[in-house]
Formats: sequence, structure tokens, C-alpha cells
Amino acid sequence: MSDDAPPPNAPAQGPRHLAEDDVGIVRPRDYTHAEPFVFKSGQTIQGFTLRYETYGTLNATRDNAVLVCHALSGDHHCAGWHSPSDTKPGWWNNLIGPGKAVDTRRFFVVCANVLGGCQGSTGPSSVDPSTGRPYGTRFPFVTIRDMVHAQKLLLDHLGIAELHAVLGGSMGGMTAMIFAIEYPQFTRRQIIMASTANESAQAIAFNEVGRQAIMQDPAWNNGDYPRDGGPRVGLAIARMMAHITYLSDAGMDRKFGRRKRESAGGESYTFDAQFEVESYLRHQGQSFINRFDANSYLYITRAIDQFDPARASGTLEQAFAPVQAESLVVGFTSDWLFPPEQNRSIALALLRAGKRASYAELSTDLGHDSFLLESADLYALVRGFLERSETYVFDFAI
Amino acid sequence: MSRLVEKRTVDMEVIGKWVEPQSRVLDLGCGRGELMAYLVQAKQVYATGVDLDFARISACVARGLSAYQGDMTDFMRAFPDRHFDRVICSRTVHELNDPAGVILEALRVGTAVTVGFVNHGFWKNRVDELFRGRKVRNAVYTTAWHESRPANPLSVADFEDFCRLKSIRVARRAHLLGDWRTPCGVMPNLFAGYALYDLARA
Repeated sequence: MSDDAPPPNAPAQGPRHLAEDDVGIVRPRDYTHAEPFVFKSGQTIQGFTLRYETYGTLNATRDNAVLVCHALSGDHHCAGWHSPSDTKPGWWNNLIGPGKAVDTRRFFVVCANVLGGCQGSTGPSSVDPSTGRPYGTRFPFVTIRDMVHAQKLLLDHLGIAELHAVLGGSMGGMTAMIFAIEYPQFTRRQIIMASTANESAQAIAFNEVGRQAIMQDPAWNNGDYPRDGGPRVGLAIARMMAHITYLSDAGMDRKFGRRKRESAGGESYTFDAQFEVESYLRHQGQSFINRFDANSYLYITRAIDQFDPARASGTLEQAFAPVQAESLVVGFTSDWLFPPEQNRSIALALLRAGKRASYAELSTDLGHDSFLLESADLYALVRGFLERSETYVFDFAI
Repeated sequence: MSRLVEKRTVDMEVIGKWVEPQSRVLDLGCGRGELMAYLVQAKQVYATGVDLDFARISACVARGLSAYQGDMTDFMRAFPDRHFDRVICSRTVHELNDPAGVILEALRVGTAVTVGFVNHGFWKNRVDELFRGRKVRNAVYTTAWHESRPANPLSVADFEDFCRLKSIRVARRAHLLGDWRTPCGVMPNLFAGYALYDLARA
């Protein structure tokens, strides 16, 4: 996902955290699981912490929870503001809030940083209690399933009886799928956006180049580096390249074209950033290294590459056999990382398995990041799926 | 209820009579899900719809219906033989690029296929064209040619020929007069305003 600075031409506004449809100032919390946790790989850690946020109120029947799942570089802060001076809100603030598509007046929204992450949840940069040093590459290999199991422990801790819905884009969609497969009684609905049931060779290839950029940086040192050090050059390059895969050709042309930076002259015979797209990517890389851990990047991209629920079951519809959730899958025309076809396959496999599933497709030029789009169509779709009544009321009105 | 709404209802009621309760139904060209919602309510079917338009899919989703945005032939190709108990193609067949291809694919994925269409051979449509010399417009197809989608109108006789040619078994027929309500006993190609066919593989 992009972390753009707010658009320079945004109209001057009042304090945005006070907007009527905004969850306002929010505070992250930590859940600590104090018992051993066994990973799919068989490896164990002696407990873990998940950092999470919640918005809205859990109802008396404890069944109005909506779990939001983040993508590779996302985190638990999906709506609201941490302080009035924040320059930007949580990453899905346009979708989540009072009266928004995911209505926090109606739903209890939960979002947690994944296991293996680096935004407060236990991951490779956390201290291994047995050595007093960061785990580094001694951290167990994480799968999407492990992330889901850890989040389920958090949801149990919060007293949630069942999920009204789980939703996410990209890796978040994979997380949703595993929730629906692993906890069929618990998961009533799932929304999968810009995701895939197994990455293409091309997507794995991009992740591999990112990992190589990190691992070939001498500062990576086999994953053993101090908290404030590490392979900053490698991580920034990995991010710059990955960021291109989140956009589209047309979208980049619209946003940057061949425009040059003001400081760049007409003819400039240097390798300094001349084009706006260059300085944009450099900014993306630099801001990323200040908030993301390189080892987490290796672990999470590996988890995404490994994701393939069909492999264990034979076919995708067999993998989906236990699902009881109703599903909504959303593809975006310009997404070439997890293209519409791969999203269609998810919906088709669910339907072949006899499940209730819908597929909708939005025409956008924002590429893979389109699921973060500000789109009335997307909002109406999500709201309609989450809020429709259970009973069918037949209406002859057209 | 307006006359138009009434005509839609009649269509649904005939289809509703043919649909087995709790069966698995696919609606090709499902629109905003009116027929599916009716069948779910009246016959507790497990319904899935296909349509090309995002807004229509979104409307189906908001009604709690399963709907898939995409090409209907591509959709059907993703399913094994007889996956559906019934495939419905209601007032869609005249707008298809490859009507034979769609109906034959529907006969593969569905045990039964229901096709409903406005009979272009209906006498009023003939008179209309003969005397007015204009595109047929009626209570259902209200728009002028320049506001209409491309259409490939067909008649009862055309459809009967098609079924013979492709060795498709016609399990049931419903020919309705111009009011789309009263059964039409004789010369349906001339007197039926609307026709419904229930097809099966020979």
C-alpha cells in the first residue's frame, strides 16, 4: 500500500479527526498471549503480543464484530487518528467510521497487526526472551494460517462470539479466506478484495527481487542487525520496486507523467532524481525504512508466496468445502499484481463448492492499490453486503 | 401496479411454477435480482445470477443474493455438467452475441433450461412494423432504436426451429396472449405475445 503525503491541493479543513463520520482519536492496545504458540512449521514461541485497535462497541450478543485484515505493509491502525497533529489517518479511514460503509455505529471493528509484523506485534524484530536479543531469522516461519490463529486468540480474548464479517485487501483477503476456512461457524461473512488464492509466478518473482535486495545488502548480516540499523538500502529498494507493482501504467501516467521536479533543469546530466516519479519512489522507499523491519518484510512476503489453500486439499473448492460464510469477492480492472481473473477464480471456486458468493469488478486505473479507492460504488457494495437484512423481502418495484 | 410491473410478475409466476423448491438455479442476465429474489422467497431456491453490469451486481448483493459480474458463457464454462438444476434465460436471449452457444452451454451445466422471450411474430408486432414501419415498441421495450441495446428479435417459430435443429427436447411450453396472462391455444407464432420454453437435452 502507498503511504502518500496528503495531496498538496487538499482544501484547508478543520480538525479532520473531529469530522462527524470519523472515529476520531484512537489508541492502539496490546494483547499478550502468555502461552506457547505453535506455528504450522512446528516451531514454537513462548507467547506473543498482537497490537490492535477497535472502533465501535461490541453488542450484547457479541456478534457485531467486523475484523479488518491488513496487507503486507499495513498495520492495525486502519481508521481514526493517533493525535490531532497526525498528517494522515488510519489506512482505511475512507471506508470505516460512523455512517461509513463499515459503520462503526453498527459494528465493532477490530484490526490487528499480524504475527510476524513489526508495528507492535511479535515478529522477527521482537526480543527473543530466551536470548535477550531480537529473534532475527530465528523467528519461526510464519504462514497466513499462523497469523489467523493468533488473531483468533485475540478475538476470543475480546469475547467475540462470532464475526459478522472479516474483510481485507491483498494479503488481507488471504487472511479472510483462511478465517472462513478454519473457523466456519465463527465467520458469517467475508469480503476479499484485490486478492488471490495463489500468487502467480510473476508476483512471487517480484517478492523474490525484494527479498534479494534486502539479503544482498551487507547490513542485513543474515538477519542479525541492531534495531535502528539493518539493510536500509535493500529495504528501500524492495519497497520502491514493490510500490510499482501496486500501481498501474495508466495510473502512474496520470499521476506523474513525464513531469520533472522543479529543481531539475531542462537538460540535466546527472543521476539525481529528475522526474517526479523518481522522487516519489525515493520518498516511498525512505519513509518505509523508518517504519518497517527488513526481516518482517522477508517473513511476510514468504507467507504470501506460500499461500495456496488448494495445495493441501487438491482443489480450491475442496479447500472451501467447510466455509459457511457468505462471500463477496471484488476485483479491480487495473490490478495486474492480483488481477481480476485471480479474484474471479476465488468466487467461482466458492460457487462450485455450493457456497453463496458474489463477484463484482470495479473499473479503476489505480492498480492493485485500488481497494483503497475512494469510490461511492465500492462503498455501496460493501455496505449493501454488510447491512442487508437476512430475510428476503420481495419487492416488485423496479 | 403499473401494466409493466404486472407483465413482469406474470413472467415470474410462470417460471416460478416450473422451478422445483430448494433447487439450484442460475439466472443468466439477472439484472437487479428481481426474479432471483422472487424464486428465493417463493421456492427457497439456491440462486446465483450473472450480469455484466456492476450496479446490477451491487443491487443483487444488497438484496442478499449471490451474483457474479462477468460474461455468462465464461461463467458457465467454470462449472461441471449439471451443476445447476435449472438455468434461466429470461428476456435476455435476444441480446446475446451467440444465442445458440449460450443455450447449449446452459444445457450442459443445467439439467433444465428455461428460456423466456417476447414473441416478435405476435400479430401486433407484425402490424406495427407493417403499418408504422418503425422499430417495435411496446410496454416492455419502450425505447426508440437510438436508445436501445442491439437486439436480435426472435419469434416462436424461430425458436421451435432452433430446438429442432439442435435436437433440444422441449419439456414444457407456455404461450401467453398479448396480456401475457391468458394461455394462447392456437397459432402461437401469431397470437402469443410472450413465450416460455422449458428445455432439456434430448
